[in-house]
Amino acid sequence: MRTNTSLSFMQAVATFALMSCLGLAYAINPIEDSLFFKAIDAMVEGVYQENVLSNLNNSVVAGLLLGLLSGTSYVFLSMNKKAYDFFLLFIFVSIILVFVSSLREYDRFPYHITQQLFLWFWIGIPVTVGMAGIWQNSIGNQVISAFLILVMPIGLGGNTNDQIYPILGFVFSFILYLELSYGHTRYSRLARVMYFSKEFETVLHWFLTTLVFTLALTTALTSVAFLFHDFLGDILPYSFSNSIEFNTIYGQALSILVFFMIWAVLQTLFSRGYLARQVED
Amino acid sequence: MWTRKAVVYIGLGTTLVLFSPFIDNLQLFLLGTTILGFVAVHSLVNTRPIDVKITRSFDAEQVFENSPVSVDFIIQNKGRSVGFLEVYDNLPPEVEVDKGSNHTIIRLQKDELVINKYHLNCRLRGQFRLGNPSLRIYNPSFLFYYEADVESKSSLVVLPQMEQIDGVDLSTEFPKMYQGAMPIRRIGTSGEFYGIREYSPGDDFKNINWRVFGRTRKLMINQYESEDISDIMLVLDAREIAGTGTVLQNPLNYSCRAIASLVNYFLRARNRVGLTIYGETVKVINPDTGERHLYDILTALAEIKAQGSLGLHTILGDLRNFTPRSPVMVVSTLENDPTSTEALREITARGFKLTVIAPDTLNYDRDSRIISPTVYFTASASLDNKITEARSLGAKAMRWDPETVLSTSLAEVIR
Repeated sequence: MRTNTSLSFMQAVATFALMSCLGLAYAINPIEDSLFFKAIDAMVEGVYQENVLSNLNNSVVAGLLLGLLSGTSYVFLSMNKKAYDFFLLFIFVSIILVFVSSLREYDRFPYHITQQLFLWFWIGIPVTVGMAGIWQNSIGNQVISAFLILVMPIGLGGNTNDQIYPILGFVFSFILYLELSYGHTRYSRLARVMYFSKEFETVLHWFLTTLVFTLALTTALTSVAFLFHDFLGDILPYSFSNSIEFNTIYGQALSILVFFMIWAVLQTLFSRGYLARQVED
Repeated sequence: MWTRKAVVYIGLGTTLVLFSPFIDNLQLFLLGTTILGFVAVHSLVNTRPIDVKITRSFDAEQVFENSPVSVDFIIQNKGRSVGFLEVYDNLPPEVEVDKGSNHTIIRLQKDELVINKYHLNCRLRGQFRLGNPSLRIYNPSFLFYYEADVESKSSLVVLPQMEQIDGVDLSTEFPKMYQGAMPIRRIGTSGEFYGIREYSPGDDFKNINWRVFGRTRKLMINQYESEDISDIMLVLDAREIAGTGTVLQNPLNYSCRAIASLVNYFLRARNRVGLTIYGETVKVINPDTGERHLYDILTALAEIKAQGSLGLHTILGDLRNFTPRSPVMVVSTLENDPTSTEALREITARGFKLTVIAPDTLNYDRDSRIISPTVYFTASASLDNKITEARSLGAKAMRWDPETVLSTSLAEVIR
């Protein structure tokens, strides 16, 4: 694969990872429980003195698609400053006209449509921002998008062990999105410096291979660490494994901590430097 | 070393691991754990020091100004394989990369050898040291890096550019006649044939080429090469003030080019040429001939830096040892030198055939706004006064605009 193709591939996969991690985040945390949307709902209700958002369709898929559409439009429009300016003007005038016609009660535009679009737009906003980050190499946008993906779906309900597969999928796609988008920013800049040379191409392929391998390994390690909790439950005395503390998230956190401690000790013992020192002594 | 990204990852991971239990959120907890694990795994990938040997080879170790030099930058891996190796060849600011790049990013397998080629354009004379190259190894996800300098120094000598000078007779009226003197390619009276020209009244009949006459029915005269050779002393002003201007456009650089051109011209004509440089100290290269002597002078010119403020009078002592009545050429602006008048008078009084070449970069300095128009007019008037003064002392003096060809300017003055 040539350097340009590899870089485009990174962008495409990063976009896919962005959408899938947001989708999985909402699959793990239902949108109805989201503190963020509850806050928006409360604000809108305060303004209109009636339930607005709760009556609308809150489809995550629609939000993702709208985010994808607006992100793509933004990226394409940014290529031409004039087209971008005209488009912004068009959106601004449209919103003003809809608002004025609604306020003056003259030739009303059905506001439910705009409200619905507004809600979907909010759901998909991490995708819009993230796409700008990926396709325009903006690290700021990537960070904001990652922050929104983490924060927006959070609710107070918490999640259970039953959702382990969507959670692992989320973790994998979230880190993949971060790594590919940031990696694209750095490697595309370096590719320009290196005039897209053949030598650089091998470096890029090495990055992609290592990323897939290390990310898979890390996710696998997390899964093993998670399973280690059950393993500990089996080997520990019943009174301990059946305790409330052990079966809450604190117990799981402690199990994972123990797992990584054992791993760290093993890594130290089997590291080349440590073994070499033992031989010298 | 940790990058900012690694610090952010560790911060985010730790925050998520510590914060998520409060809201009973396993998703964020596992995300935090995975991020920390990801950093831990990556701390093992491409972060250990490497063993790389770097050498350079040039197509020419000595070049003239504005000539390209091809550099082979050879990187040899003697240790483990490296995924991301960034190599930057540290070049002096005086040389610029013309083609290719002195910065490369490669993947090196064990014992692999990679050659990065680039071309340098040396726009300024000097003796330059290249090196040491800087290495940087990045972890693939830019979480860790390792930097080192590799011991690999090379030197590059950039000699001043030489201009072809022809048809300018700067030699003395009192040539030294050596036994077995070598003929020079100038018209004279020796036995070596130089060329033919049309007959003009007054020409000696014995020089008529009768063969050509028989063939063409035209009277043509044989011309012979001159055999006169002499000692010529060149004097270069390397005071600090001679370096005024930009790095490339300053009187000292132009003086060096003028000296190099003149030395080459005189040595080609089998003269003996010496060079006296004054600035911080007085350095004398005694008159001599040959290619090796040309190289010695060019190397000395390459090393010169604008330093010190010794006056022209400091060279008078060394001129005493020089053959009387020989040509002396001073290349200097004579600026801010209160001893110059006295020194020029002394040189002409001793009977040396004196020529003064004053490189004039004032126009360039004014156009580039290095000096104000007021300063320009003052400096220009001062330079004109010096030139007039030198002429009044019997010297052939000229204000040389480096944009013009030296031999053309010289021919005007000599005439």
